[in-house]
Amino acid sequence: MPIRNTTERWGWVSIGIHWLTLLMVLSLVLVGFVMQEMANSPTKIEVYAMHKSFGLTLLGLTVLRLLWRLVAGTPAALPGMPRWQHLAAQASHGALYAILLAMPLSGWLYNSASGFPLKWFGLLSLPKLSGYDADVKAFALAMHEWLFIALAVVVSVHAAAALKHHYFDRDATLARMLPGLPPPDGAARNDKEAP
Amino acid sequence: MKHQIHLAALLAALACAPATAATDYRAGEASTLGFRATYMDDRFEGRFADFTPVIRFDPTDLENSRFDVRIALASASTANQERDELLVGPEFFNAGALPVARYQASKFTALGGGRFRADGALTLNGVSKPVALEFDWTPGTPAVLEGRASLKRLAFKVGEGEWADTDLLPNEVEVFTRLELQPEA
Repeated sequence: MPIRNTTERWGWVSIGIHWLTLLMVLSLVLVGFVMQEMANSPTKIEVYAMHKSFGLTLLGLTVLRLLWRLVAGTPAALPGMPRWQHLAAQASHGALYAILLAMPLSGWLYNSASGFPLKWFGLLSLPKLSGYDADVKAFALAMHEWLFIALAVVVSVHAAAALKHHYFDRDATLARMLPGLPPPDGAARNDKEAP
Repeated sequence: MKHQIHLAALLAALACAPATAATDYRAGEASTLGFRATYMDDRFEGRFADFTPVIRFDPTDLENSRFDVRIALASASTANQERDELLVGPEFFNAGALPVARYQASKFTALGGGRFRADGALTLNGVSKPVALEFDWTPGTPAVLEGRASLKRLAFKVGEGEWADTDLLPNEVEVFTRLELQPEA
């Protein structure tokens, strides 16, 4: 597998970041729901601190991912795919990137407006995006919640589309992002490296 | 003529004054009382919006000087709603059960250069312990008292149970105050 993306397939950097992002998003969502139900204790604060640190990590990872995308390019649309599908895919990818950036930023803003310090894994202090402000705090929390709903919707569409391509259209859309998954029989793999 | 009348009135007032020369003061609106503590290496500051100092003080009559300050614990604010709710709750100030802390001092020592030390006692959370308050006294109208004290939160059962961890929340808390004092009419 190439490091860089080619016109036919994703390289391992993009594939790695893609699945790592999924894992982190699922963990962040799960912890995000559980931590709100915890009684006030140092443990609760520790759990919040981890949620914040991992969220910030995902923010950094997404920035790197977009830079890498600029450098390494993206595979071309599979031949025979209708134009509207390609545009819909690009739009949903754009939305996912925007949410992956806005979600941690709204959390960071919420943390700042609440008056809490922010330290990445206890190592690096991050500046406050806002002073203590009840209005900004309420806005940032609403953003964090609405972005979660938007994320859940777009990720569902994204995953459903990938499964549709694999099982119904029987093309290589999912296979080229998931090493080890053989493309469906007779799929237009469009892979020059294949024998 | 007018001056003479005033002088006479002053002399009469002095003659009638009680043996204690120490003046009773009330604190003006601009007075502040707060504390500084550290949480997860982050220094934060809290203020009490509601406190009532009754100050009788004369640098030349420490014998008859008295401090009596009542602090409404629920008025504490650290510019963080979640922290403030926790702070006034049962694990910290327990303001629901014991809403008022009190600092009383009647022993004063001059440290020179307008500085003094009050050796008083703070009653908080049902615990009464000695707390020394060092302060600068600037006479005038208003007279200004600027003081600081250092205390151990755990001695007053502030932040018990899981919060007793001093790596997370150090034991030392700095208290600071600035009182603008008007003589009582």
